[in-house]
Amino acid sequence: MESFLPGTASLIDSVDKKLLVILRDGRNLIGILRSYDQFANLVLQNTLERIIVNDCYGEKERGVFIIRGENVVLLGEIDKDKEQDGYPNLNKVSYEKIKELHEQEIKDKKARELQKQKILLERGFSEEFGDYDLY
Amino acid sequence: MLPLSLLNASKGRPMQVELKNGETYNGHLVNCDPWMNISLQKDGETFYSLEECYIRGSSIKYLRIQDDVIDNVKEESQRNKNQMRNRNNMRGRGRGRNSNRGRGANNNIRS
Repeated sequence: MESFLPGTASLIDSVDKKLLVILRDGRNLIGILRSYDQFANLVLQNTLERIIVNDCYGEKERGVFIIRGENVVLLGEIDKDKEQDGYPNLNKVSYEKIKELHEQEIKDKKARELQKQKILLERGFSEEFGDYDLY
Repeated sequence: MLPLSLLNASKGRPMQVELKNGETYNGHLVNCDPWMNISLQKDGETFYSLEECYIRGSSIKYLRIQDDVIDNVKEESQRNKNQMRNRNNMRGRGRGRNSNRGRGANNNIRS
């Protein structure tokens, strides 16, 4: 990294570049960063929403996004050359298919969590409140 | 073009708002403010609909707007920039043009 400016100032280099943005709910958005502000509110153009489940992925065009900065976990530039090579370890499937897989994954995870909680409760741990772990 | 100015520029346009809890609202943007509080007005009959709703900015996850808004905004800001430039140029030329100021009414007629 050549220069690091405090706050969101370092984002200036990423303007008009293709970025991957991960939100707190686990969403992956890929789009061109058009602008941002001091809160890291972002404007993404030609956005793709990509869902990855195990070794499958699917994506859908989503247009222009204004993302409220609070919800951003990370963002990073996408290497154009590497992107062109594709993803040798992932299979592309339709959005409908991946959505289905994704929902199944969420369901399974919930069931596992419930199971875990039950066991912990039996052993004298207190119940956990809220579901902060949204990934 | 800051994100909030873009939001401001999409007044009257349809948009989709997703809240942090995952609910989505579709509607025409009526108004917004610097805290991203927004009010939406109903947009067709597709979904179960409220006539109007007000959303506190802090509960928003993201807003989706139409593709062409961003282009319109770009054009407009370019136009404004040009206008400002012209105005500035005018200001610069002001003295030269009116150099006969205060020298009597007929001074600018040269034979």
